[in-house]
Amino acid sequence: MPVEFGATPWGRAWVRTVESTAASGPNPLLPRARSLARNHAATVTASTGLVTAVVAASGAEHAVRIELPGWSAETGAEAERLIAGALAAHRGQATGDLPDSLEADLRAAGIAVAVPVDEQVGTCGCRTRKRPCVHVLATLYALSMRVDERPALAVELRVDSAAVAPRPDPDWVPLHDLDAASFYG
Amino acid sequence: MIRSRKCPCADDSGLWLASSSVLFRNDRRRRGPHRRRTPTHPRRITEELVPLPGRTPRLQATFVPAENAIAWWGPDDLAGAVRALGLPDGRPGTCGLAVPDGATVVAADRAVRFADLAEAVPALRGLDRRAGVGKSALSWRDAARLVDSGTDASFADLAAAMPPAAHAVLNPERTAVAAPASLLAQFRAAVGAGAALAEVAVDARLRPYQVHGVAWLSARPELGTGGVLADEMGLGKTLQAICLLATRRTATPHLVVCPTSLVGNWRRELERFSPATPVLPYHGARRELPGEFAPGTVVITSYPVLRGDGPLLGTRWDVVVLDEAQQIKNAEAQASRAAARLAATVRIAMTGTPVENRLDELWSIFNVTNPGLLGTRGRFRQRFTTPIEQRRSAPAAAALNALVRPHMLRRTKSEVAAELPPKQYTTTLCTLTDEQVRLYRAAVDDAFGRGLGAGIGRSGRVLALLTALKQICNHPAQYLGDGRAEAGRSGKFDRATEMLTEIVDDGDRALVFTQYRAMGELLSGSLGAALGTAPVPFLHGGLSGDRRDELVRAFQQDDDAPPVLLLSLRAAGFGLNLTRAAHVVHYDRWWNPAVEEQATDRAHRIGQERTLTVHTLVSGGTVEDHIARMHDTKRGLADIVSGDTEAALAKLSDEDLHAVLDLDLGALS
Repeated sequence: MPVEFGATPWGRAWVRTVESTAASGPNPLLPRARSLARNHAATVTASTGLVTAVVAASGAEHAVRIELPGWSAETGAEAERLIAGALAAHRGQATGDLPDSLEADLRAAGIAVAVPVDEQVGTCGCRTRKRPCVHVLATLYALSMRVDERPALAVELRVDSAAVAPRPDPDWVPLHDLDAASFYG
Repeated sequence: MIRSRKCPCADDSGLWLASSSVLFRNDRRRRGPHRRRTPTHPRRITEELVPLPGRTPRLQATFVPAENAIAWWGPDDLAGAVRALGLPDGRPGTCGLAVPDGATVVAADRAVRFADLAEAVPALRGLDRRAGVGKSALSWRDAARLVDSGTDASFADLAAAMPPAAHAVLNPERTAVAAPASLLAQFRAAVGAGAALAEVAVDARLRPYQVHGVAWLSARPELGTGGVLADEMGLGKTLQAICLLATRRTATPHLVVCPTSLVGNWRRELERFSPATPVLPYHGARRELPGEFAPGTVVITSYPVLRGDGPLLGTRWDVVVLDEAQQIKNAEAQASRAAARLAATVRIAMTGTPVENRLDELWSIFNVTNPGLLGTRGRFRQRFTTPIEQRRSAPAAAALNALVRPHMLRRTKSEVAAELPPKQYTTTLCTLTDEQVRLYRAAVDDAFGRGLGAGIGRSGRVLALLTALKQICNHPAQYLGDGRAEAGRSGKFDRATEMLTEIVDDGDRALVFTQYRAMGELLSGSLGAALGTAPVPFLHGGLSGDRRDELVRAFQQDDDAPPVLLLSLRAAGFGLNLTRAAHVVHYDRWWNPAVEEQATDRAHRIGQERTLTVHTLVSGGTVEDHIARMHDTKRGLADIVSGDTEAALAKLSDEDLHAVLDLDLGALS
């Protein structure tokens, strides 16, 4: 059976933030959070420094917002250097993928790919007192899945990097980029 | 664990790509621009939703690659406006186009007229600048004038000057339009492919979607990437591939790899459509490759030969075509590894079912045609197979779609329905196995050795011989009566199994006709297992009327009934209505076109909106093949062609009869 959450080192880094070994004991919310993520209850939108989600649970929808601190200028520069080197060494990389060795390089340089839960600024529309709530945790699990599917997202979350940004498809022009006024020339 | 025969994200038609899946079923934008013309889903054209600006609309033009045509649009009286300008008015159709709606640009379906490039390009060249047409039409006039002698720079200038109306053709998601430079490049490729086809005189009239397919294939070598031609069965993949091969007269030869049962068919089709192409079958024990090849030579071989053949791997090829690419769906298999190791300019895979069961198989095929595109196998599983197959991840399916789409061309019958006749006939030539060759020769030698005699006795003996030969062509087990029909003993049987598997995997239904009860029972016993369905029922004269009615009802109405129905030609003559079938397979020949046509019409009734594909299986080099050729060419002995074929054969002299019955392996290899 393949790993459900954290199939790649990139997704695993995010799973670890939720299932931190530093925690005093197992978090009883985690099975429920995994179940929500597994069943597509969390619809995630991710961009540099910000993850938002709508989590449908128990008949209600909860808006989750998680702010992620960016890398410092110094860390960012070092990360960009490592990224450029890794991409140069793996030219045949499929679109959206990053070599696993890069994750190891970043870790070796002391650069965390994922943001520990206590450094995240997470809010949720639910009323439970316990934070992070199950909806935030479900969002993080769902995020780890998105990262497994597209490892480049792990870097995009931390830095607005041209090196990993999805290249616009040169064969197509999105409708919203077209000018209605000059449509017929 | 639920094990579906199809990828869990396949939609009703089994089409996973382009329309990708139940995951997007509610997303109306996912449908391609040309699905609009599907006659089974009539839609009102939303002309009035997006009115053009107040003044009288001028004629607009947009190149639509999938139609291999310039779409004219704009004025209310479109045909009149086009004709008044001296332009070809083409065929009517509907096209997904971008149009301005207030301050934004939206997707819409428009009534258009498609003028095929072959006519539109010369007419555009002659269009007067002051003709009062829209700037988009003038852009395509300029493109038509540049296409023979224009430089890349002049095309780049034109791309920069094109108004959006000129490149308004939508992507399948209906979220974007083709970029001007990309559309111009496709226009150049399409005009080039059309000219190349005219030059080499491919002996076939291609439908517009097929010309687009040839242009798409012809662009692969220049792009330096392979690709997968995944048109639904019956749309002419082989013909499109032949056009690609025939238009590339390179010093390095081309290679076609296909199942053993299709080697003869490929050779015959190449000879038929492109007689000038040198063809070299390469199979059998005494196979040999020459030291030098005539320019444009096509070598045809089979997957079993490819597995362990040094000379094939040691030769430098131009285009390698891998037909029935399900054969390389297992990346570990020897054939897949050998296919990946062939030294070639470009590798093209052909399959009607790009994702039969699992995404792993898609990876395996692309690993041969476009190595590296999908990453390593392990990574592909992490990123796509597990997310899509196990948790139905929509983002992963969309990402995979985006990755694969530029490298895979798939059209379904419903997409191109407007271009297809109501009934399409194809004859598939099957290769005899060694066992069949031995039995066939022995039967002929034995009958002529003992003498056929004269009078009533003669016609009885000739008919017995004919029956024996037809049984041998069908399957040695039918002739010898030695148990179940196993794979590997009959080329025709193997081919039928492959075809039916493909039809069923595509979510379609088929009727299979045979004139022999014994053959029907052999097929019934083996097809269920091969197709992974319940046992395939056989409707024949020995069944009660109630039982027959029940079989017909189940085929027409039950969703879980086996998608294939076997019928005895005699029992199925009248009164049956089996219009759910999209394919009819004639497993053996009756040699009476009227009877065969009557059977075919069980599936084709007035009002049927889908194209029916009629497949006739013929064993190459045998009496089936000889008589089929006489019928096709309307040449030969008049009675054989027009009357009762079997009775006419009995009247022939020994010498003439021997010429018709004798096995002509030269016809195949």
